[in-house]
Amino acid sequence: MRHSLTLVLVGLLAFASLFAGQAARAERLDLIHKRGILIVGVKADYPPFGMRDANGQLVGFEPDLAAELARRLGLGLQLTAVTSTNRLQKLAEGAIDVVIATLGDTPQRRRIATLIEPHYYVSGVTVLAPPGARLSSWADLRGRKVCATQGAYFNREMAQRHLLDLQVFSGARDSRLALRDGRCIAWLYDDTALASLRLESDWADYRTPLPSTLVSPWAIAIAAAESGSRLERALADAVAEAHRSGWLKDAERRWNLPPSPFLADAQQRWTRIGADGQPICARLASGEWPAECRDASRLTSTEVSGLHRFGLLIRERTGLDLTFVYDPYDRSQFLRGIWLTVQLLIACIIGSLFVGCLGALTAESGIPFLRGWVWATAAIGRMAPPLLLIYVVFFGVGHLVVTRFGWTVDGFLVAAVCLSLYAGCSTVFALLDASAVLKGRQPDFTLRWKTLPQALRLAYTPVVAILINVVKATGMASVIAVPELISASTAIIAEHGNTGVMINVLMLIYFLLVLLTVRLFAVIERRVLQRDPH
Amino acid sequence: MTPTDIIATLWVWTPFLAGGFLWNILISLAAMLIGTLPGIVLARMRLAKRQSLVQTSLVTTELMRNIPTFVFLFYLAFLIPVEFEFAGQVYAFPAWLKAALALSVAVVGFVSDNLYVAWRHWRAGDHAAALLLIPNWTGYLLIIVMASSTASVIGVDEIVARCNVIIAAVGRDELMLWVYLYAMGYFIVFCFPLSRAMEAVKNRMQARVTSVLSQKEGAGS
Repeated sequence: MRHSLTLVLVGLLAFASLFAGQAARAERLDLIHKRGILIVGVKADYPPFGMRDANGQLVGFEPDLAAELARRLGLGLQLTAVTSTNRLQKLAEGAIDVVIATLGDTPQRRRIATLIEPHYYVSGVTVLAPPGARLSSWADLRGRKVCATQGAYFNREMAQRHLLDLQVFSGARDSRLALRDGRCIAWLYDDTALASLRLESDWADYRTPLPSTLVSPWAIAIAAAESGSRLERALADAVAEAHRSGWLKDAERRWNLPPSPFLADAQQRWTRIGADGQPICARLASGEWPAECRDASRLTSTEVSGLHRFGLLIRERTGLDLTFVYDPYDRSQFLRGIWLTVQLLIACIIGSLFVGCLGALTAESGIPFLRGWVWATAAIGRMAPPLLLIYVVFFGVGHLVVTRFGWTVDGFLVAAVCLSLYAGCSTVFALLDASAVLKGRQPDFTLRWKTLPQALRLAYTPVVAILINVVKATGMASVIAVPELISASTAIIAEHGNTGVMINVLMLIYFLLVLLTVRLFAVIERRVLQRDPH
Repeated sequence: MTPTDIIATLWVWTPFLAGGFLWNILISLAAMLIGTLPGIVLARMRLAKRQSLVQTSLVTTELMRNIPTFVFLFYLAFLIPVEFEFAGQVYAFPAWLKAALALSVAVVGFVSDNLYVAWRHWRAGDHAAALLLIPNWTGYLLIIVMASSTASVIGVDEIVARCNVIIAAVGRDELMLWVYLYAMGYFIVFCFPLSRAMEAVKNRMQARVTSVLSQKEGAGS
């Protein structure tokens, strides 16, 4: 049975990957014209580049640029909020046509998307630290907990270079809150975003004590398949025109950004006139920009050898990008993800049983009002979606605790406690039901510590169903930056774009973990039933 | 923010949140419908005479039961294209439908198991016990409504995603606790009475089943 199950699953996965491969081959620009609307992904949490105004609308430097591009292309505009983690993913799956979302140009990303030249902005990397932090060089951060935002291209580079213990959160908002609540000593992020954050009164005391590093230009991105397409050309022309006309410099001023030397240089470069009276930066016969108009600054690609080279060979031959096997950084990230998921799974099973038993014993203790109180709490707890519970405890209660007592609440602990509470509430009812049945059989039965095994034995099937469900839900910990399996996999996908392989491996491993738990409980059940005197 | 400020802000955004919650209910109903149909087929197969059919159904049911919904949600979000062209027309594959599909997997397993039991009761002439399927199915709908909050992680515009929009728009971190608690209130207020009602229906039906059984026993002895 186990064998055939795995077979069925592998078959399903193969089918799904086939489905995924069927991306439209036609030129995207035709599809866009048919639709009449350009769909652009912009940031919602990166003021002043992309943010929400008081009405919840997306506004900022990048939404303005998007509107300008749509206008030049003669199209309507639809803005969609994206994050650093999902922007290239959404592009690849076709949910959006264009990404204008503070995307740094790296060789890595050029492999998974088409990046438009010329670039429209530049930024570097620095850290934001609270007033008291004593940091004078990057070396001071070695081995320390540093908050980071998932999907930022520099996370891995900086972690390896300075041996940072990165706490990776899923968005800028969450990283910001984590820094404020003292979950880390500094937040590693783009210098442009940190500079504008410091303009807010709440953050005026915070410092950016370290020099910016890894300066990289920002590019508009379209899908990898659109390389050399008419869409690429139209967008590149529009950006070049925005440099020439000074539109980008105006937008910079409009959004109160400090004047960047990059935009000044670019305007100069793109308006230069050659000896023949023609602009130097015009398209060559090949359709390319002349070399002197292109940006020379590029990050060097990593050195390749050994297992890594072997992995790249597999990718060239089969298209399977197994970064989590050959890339040491990804491998350790991935293995840690599996290990954390296993720990979380065990913690949730034990926690749910503990909450369930404690609740049932309290309800049956005979102390007046206690039964009603436990019953009401458990009934409400059962109706609270665990994801919301995690948000409430992590962001809401976690913040109160840190401001009152100075304790930081660990994400792993929050996830384990919330999921245990949720499943524990259902367990209480399963045990109370069992206790009622036992009372029917033996009128003198009362639920006590000693008689608990009897009730557990009777309620075995429903309780195990509850525990299996909580095991299936452990992935929710990923929403609060616990670096478990889903977080590790999506981080790898954001960096390498090997969606098909990673997501299938993730699904398979998670499924096997659930199956393993199911089997484990089946074994326990057999043992228990054998020992059962009835 | 003073408590009055908080209440005023929540009040202003209430229609927006309520609209989000309608999405949760829509997604859940869609998931129940999508999942129930294959569930019926699987349950029917389990009653078949041919062992191969029974085995296939059992394996598929166990598969459906054990697929972790939350991970499957990511799986579908990553792997199903968002738009596809068919016969010159562009069709969208909306995120809410992906969420409904992911949630429906658990429904398939649930319906297969419960309908199988109900069907056997029905065949045995025990109609009252078979009808217990109805409150059980509704009870499961509530579980799916709660699970539908996870659709926010793949960008569905439901209530939790709208909480994040509000927090970003208002720009006050201390509002987070209250917005999330308020959203939680929607789930509790919706699910609690329905779940109580279903339990009451179930208890009454069960009482009837027991009385029918005892009558039969009485007649037999």
